[in-house]
Amino acid sequence: MKEKIKNILVTLLKVKPEELKDDVSLQDGIGVDSTEMVETVIALEKAFGTKLNPKEITKFSTINDIEKVISSKIGR
Amino acid sequence: MVKIAATGIGIVSPSGIGKRQFWANIKSGRSFVKKITRFDASKYPSHIAGQIDDLEKYSHVSERLLKKIDAFSHMALIASEMALQDAGIDIKQEDPNLVGIFLGNAIGGWLYAETELRDLYIEGREGVSPYMASAWFPAAPQGQVSIYYGIKGFSKTVVADRAGSLMAIGYARKVLAKDKLNMILAGGMEAPVTPYALLCCNTYGALSKNNTNPQEAYRPFDKKRDGFVIGEGAGIMVMESVERAKSRAVKPFVLISGYGTTCDAVDRINPAEDGKELARAINMALADAGITPEKIDYISLDGLAVDIWDNSEAAAIKSVFGSRTESIPMSCPKSMFGNLLGASGAVDLIITILAMEHNLIPPTINLEEPALNGLKFIGKEPKEYKINKALIISRGRGGINSALVVEKYEN
Repeated sequence: MKEKIKNILVTLLKVKPEELKDDVSLQDGIGVDSTEMVETVIALEKAFGTKLNPKEITKFSTINDIEKVISSKIGR
Repeated sequence: MVKIAATGIGIVSPSGIGKRQFWANIKSGRSFVKKITRFDASKYPSHIAGQIDDLEKYSHVSERLLKKIDAFSHMALIASEMALQDAGIDIKQEDPNLVGIFLGNAIGGWLYAETELRDLYIEGREGVSPYMASAWFPAAPQGQVSIYYGIKGFSKTVVADRAGSLMAIGYARKVLAKDKLNMILAGGMEAPVTPYALLCCNTYGALSKNNTNPQEAYRPFDKKRDGFVIGEGAGIMVMESVERAKSRAVKPFVLISGYGTTCDAVDRINPAEDGKELARAINMALADAGITPEKIDYISLDGLAVDIWDNSEAAAIKSVFGSRTESIPMSCPKSMFGNLLGASGAVDLIITILAMEHNLIPPTINLEEPALNGLKFIGKEPKEYKINKALIISRGRGGINSALVVEKYEN
């Protein structure tokens, strides 16, 4: 799942895969802004077929945090 | 009054990107107007334009940013970078609070907007990019340039149809002359080669329908004129006081010495037939520059290639310059690459600066048989000529008039 999340971010935000660290927040790691977060949440919802609350995934989330939230939603 | 100079030029146009390539093409008299290839425009009454196909080749903008902005912001970013480099300015060394951005635009960023609006109706609200809101509007390039360089001073986008960028430059001069800022990036950008923007331009009714011979379509002041041709691009300059340029050991290209603007107040589309208000704008610019009409030795024409526009422009020139109208060389080089609407005045100014530098009056291609007498048009052949003081005319829909006087800088 982690790789899928990373691939979505790489394709969507046009960042390099090596810039994405599992335990660094999206804001600190790739300087994501609020509009990019809107786009990211919509893309994750589509990719994993689940609804995400914008408060659950924010620019302060890490890849690990995102994985945890989505896992709990889709029961994996 | 503090003297204001242009010290750096950035140009993105169908006739070339970067001032060297641009000038080489301008002086050769080559047309860059062709059939639109970006989308199927064949059913539009006018489907020709000055189109830029190799923007990416000159771009310093990341893919991450590119997906958030429209082509007109992209063009403004490239032109700004070129202008700063040309002026030898390291923006990091500037006080960001004392740097401004003054840009003109007419229609906004439709390439981005159209795509997203289509998605809105096909996919619903979730199909629309969240960047749409910040990508399409006319002041978007100003915002992007400010973010890119961290520029924080007083800035403004002027929307005044085709007169926008010359107006922005006039405005920038005024702000600099009051010593409110150290330097300004001034000019304009436009990207109208999109399905909806082209439709709007066609609805205007003033575009040439000579689709079979695109290179011969834009014929300002010619007997066979049938309207103008649109083009896309950006022209941006660094403006600062002469004193500051001197302190940086930089020789200004020109002094931006006078500006005037008026409105016709007669019709929502056409200008007044008599050209009186345009003449008043020209006189204001001359008075602002502190010179008499006798001192002007080149006129850069607006030249829309529409009877009422060309005729009223000629009437205004005749009323200001009297019998000298027959001896002042004048030309309309945008006949080679199209009318860049909200960026057209800035590009005309850049051409005039280059013409002063190279002592060569750029041609008006396709002007073979003048529709009007008593004006000294420079036709398809450029003319060697030393220009010291020039007048640039730029006008917008509904009778917006703007005129700018520039002087060659002599030590």
